[in-house]
Amino acid sequence: MNKLKIWDFITWVCIGLVLAVLLLVIGHVVVSGIRFINLKFIVETTSNAGRSGGIRNVISATIYLTLSALLLAVPVSIAAAIYLQEYARKGRLLNILVSGIETLAGVPSIVFGLFGFNIFVTLLGWSWSLVSGAITLALMGLPILTRTIMEAIRAVPRSYRDASLALGAGQWTTIVRVVLPAAFSGIITGIILSMGRIIGETAAVFLTFGSTLNSISSIFDSGRTMPVHVYILSSESVSIDNAYATATILLVVIIALNGLAYLYQGITKKRG
Amino acid sequence: MNDIQIRIRDLNFYYGEFQALYGINADIERKAVTALIGPSGCGKSTFLRCINRMNDTIDNTLVEGLLEVNDENIYSAGLDVTELRKKIGMVFQRPNPFPMSIYDNVAYGPRVHGIKNKAKLDELVQKSLEQAHLWVEVKDRLYKNALGLSGGQQQRLVIARSLAVEPEILLMDEPTSALDPIATAKLEDLVQKLAKEYTVIIVTHNMQQAARVSTKTAFFLNGYLIEMDETSKIFTAPKDQRTEDYITGRFG
Repeated sequence: MNKLKIWDFITWVCIGLVLAVLLLVIGHVVVSGIRFINLKFIVETTSNAGRSGGIRNVISATIYLTLSALLLAVPVSIAAAIYLQEYARKGRLLNILVSGIETLAGVPSIVFGLFGFNIFVTLLGWSWSLVSGAITLALMGLPILTRTIMEAIRAVPRSYRDASLALGAGQWTTIVRVVLPAAFSGIITGIILSMGRIIGETAAVFLTFGSTLNSISSIFDSGRTMPVHVYILSSESVSIDNAYATATILLVVIIALNGLAYLYQGITKKRG
Repeated sequence: MNDIQIRIRDLNFYYGEFQALYGINADIERKAVTALIGPSGCGKSTFLRCINRMNDTIDNTLVEGLLEVNDENIYSAGLDVTELRKKIGMVFQRPNPFPMSIYDNVAYGPRVHGIKNKAKLDELVQKSLEQAHLWVEVKDRLYKNALGLSGGQQQRLVIARSLAVEPEILLMDEPTSALDPIATAKLEDLVQKLAKEYTVIIVTHNMQQAARVSTKTAFFLNGYLIEMDETSKIFTAPKDQRTEDYITGRFG
């Protein structure tokens, strides 16, 4: 065997290992959970602290929290990305800002959770609530969203901008009519991927959104998202079966979101 | 004698520390084709981009001297760059249609400048595509994505897009460098027809092209305008030795 073949072999073993671990984890969760999933589990609300009943309220709390966080984070990060990519003067200040954003994206979520807990829950007195949770998650999602949207905007060829400017369009018109539409699929992909991250967040949510099994009826209500539900059901040995069932649904949602992101990118690429 | 539409006096241009143009003086005639020739990096594209102030979009550049279009200094403080660029269309090296339909590409400029009336837009789109010799080829697929067109068609589409803004001047920066010989021939033919109504300034690497399409030719070298004259004179009896060396292929 020559060197190349050995490397080929090692590469394949590594790929195999990664795939095996992934399949093992997903397989384990799905096999353990799927038995307990039925229509009732999805449409009924939890009862007996999660030992029985379904998880409808948990699912809706997850949706509320995720969408509220995105609603806050997306416009801000689009604006920030446009400014940083299109208006800010290239130079040291911009580099510092961008590396600051990258650092922020790497900060562990529990740190954001602690910040949210101290500022929104305690200091501002919003308690564990949809507002506290959504703002905390929005802050947590901002850096990575801004970064991916910046990349999407940067990927738009300079020749489009030149063409528009040379036709007498102003810079803002060029951004709105040419750059953003051309970056649209990249922006959507970025949003879908960070949506997956927000849905899966546990620690920061636990600290700011709480863990009550309420149905949400106002922005000051607390609630329990799917990951938090899994955490509590398993850590307090309430119902391992229902924890697996919830985890399975969570997995399916996240895999679906990722699939959607790739599918979407594929479709728009083909259309050109 | 044709009258002068663009007057350039002692024009210097800098990219940061680097001086790209040195004391350019030139008069460019209305409704004629002026070709700019010279080796790569001689400043001909930079010069072209001074005329519609596209160099403004590059950070850290500086212009000195006078550049008048229709007797108005285009680098004066109060000048509206939007109005200037409306008057001066530009065609780039590589065809750069927007990723939209053919119709939307051509209608882009007029829409940006506030035309919303559908009938007026339809009329402008058809007229511009006809002027760019593209109407017959695309009239049945106006709403298809422009990126599906061939390179030569895309370049004519981009010309139509410029014409739709109803400019007086067309700047072309090596418009055929990405095209095959047949598409190039079509485009050259178009350039000559356009010169009946527009002032055309074309940068080209191809000396035969300059000889075929232009009435005046300017030869640039290392940031200097060496010689500018009737095209026939430049190619048969250049005054400057460097011009002769270049057109006879001794360097470049």
